[in-house]
Amino acid sequence: MNQDSIYLDNAAATRMDERVIEAMLPYMTEKYAVATSQFGYSLGLASKEALDGARAILAGRLGAEPEEFVFTSGSAESSNMAIKGVGMALGEKKGRHIISTAIEDFPVLHSARSLERQGFTVDHVRLDEHGRVDLEHLQELIRPDTVLVTIQAANQEIGTLQDLDAIGAICRERDVLLHSDATYSFGRVPLDVVQTPVDLVSVSAHLLHGPKGIGGLYIRKGTPLIKWMDGGFQEFNLRGGVENIADAVGFAKAVELITPKETQRLQEMRDRLMAILLEIPQSRVNGHPEHRLPHNANVSFRYVEGESVLLHLDLRGFAVSTGSACFSRSLEGSHVILGIGGNHERAHGSIRFTFGRYNKPEDVDQVAEALADIVVRLREISPLGKE
Amino acid sequence: MADIRIDVRYETCPVPLVEMRKAVRRAEPGDIIEIAGTHPASQKEIPMAVEALGLELLAVEGTPDAWTIRIRR
Repeated sequence: MNQDSIYLDNAAATRMDERVIEAMLPYMTEKYAVATSQFGYSLGLASKEALDGARAILAGRLGAEPEEFVFTSGSAESSNMAIKGVGMALGEKKGRHIISTAIEDFPVLHSARSLERQGFTVDHVRLDEHGRVDLEHLQELIRPDTVLVTIQAANQEIGTLQDLDAIGAICRERDVLLHSDATYSFGRVPLDVVQTPVDLVSVSAHLLHGPKGIGGLYIRKGTPLIKWMDGGFQEFNLRGGVENIADAVGFAKAVELITPKETQRLQEMRDRLMAILLEIPQSRVNGHPEHRLPHNANVSFRYVEGESVLLHLDLRGFAVSTGSACFSRSLEGSHVILGIGGNHERAHGSIRFTFGRYNKPEDVDQVAEALADIVVRLREISPLGKE
Repeated sequence: MADIRIDVRYETCPVPLVEMRKAVRRAEPGDIIEIAGTHPASQKEIPMAVEALGLELLAVEGTPDAWTIRIRR
């Protein structure tokens, strides 16, 4: 309701940085030509150079070669492309078995489900109470017909980081491809594909103060993948269609602007918020206490529903998130909290706070003060815990 | 006479609050909104939201199981 909301939902979308918009604008006005080959006109060559430059920056951030990075419309498409693309490329040749986790974000969960409907089998690896993969169980699940392991780099709700080095080492040893959805960690938590044996990585611009509608997929050289989008020969003949050059330039600029110093600033705000919130009786942190995204806090408060807390915070001018998914008038508890063994009450009671570039230290004090009041008052009227 | 009437009887938390928020968004300043509900917690939660929004609470009538709340935007 409040136009001057304090925005703490930077894992859903981020405000675009003015410098990103400035970098993009020329590619919508004077440099609008389609990227062309060396045989095309000069205006098209300039577009091609801009696209190649953006690709090099983004691939470089992952330690990859430019030709290993394909632009997509966002990480949802990237994950579809990776999972279905590998499934279709190897389904006939090697097998129809995929391994994932129950707490993946919807693009991964639903892509795997889509393959299940086509005859694939999907197994979920066991997780500990913080959402980290049980590596021994992963070893046990890999079969001769396993074509892909898809495990996120960081969780979208509880912020837990996976040990991708260890997961990748297991996959490499067993000759299975590894895809990782790094939407929530890209730019904030380093990932180098030379060090980490991962074959496909989904990333997106919209959580890095870049534009919505652009993402990318890192594809290690030699990874079998079907052509995702029929059309022209763009994106190394994997994704047809006119390239989105302005957004690609914006994506690269957004990534360039992310610095370890800024991430440290976000982490300091996050740490302080978490410390204050844990002083509220009957509260608990969701996700790993150490191996977690630096800008994510996720806390549950017993005897109150997260949806109510969210609404009351909104009325006071704060934007936060819960893990619940709203289908019509029914609310489904967070599949992530349920996936790490949380009960129904906890699955409905988690609140996610995610920090971004435009948050200020005083935001922490203001949201903590409002939240403490809301939790106390909702507990007074809550039927939960009184039954 | 209310300008906007909302019937959230037999709905539970957080639907009554969600519907109230929608009504407040479409109401003009001075409009009266009347909400009829049956969820006991919402009977207490809506006045809390009214206070946070700085609106005027005109009446809370009925019982916790069958109530009517009138507010002015």
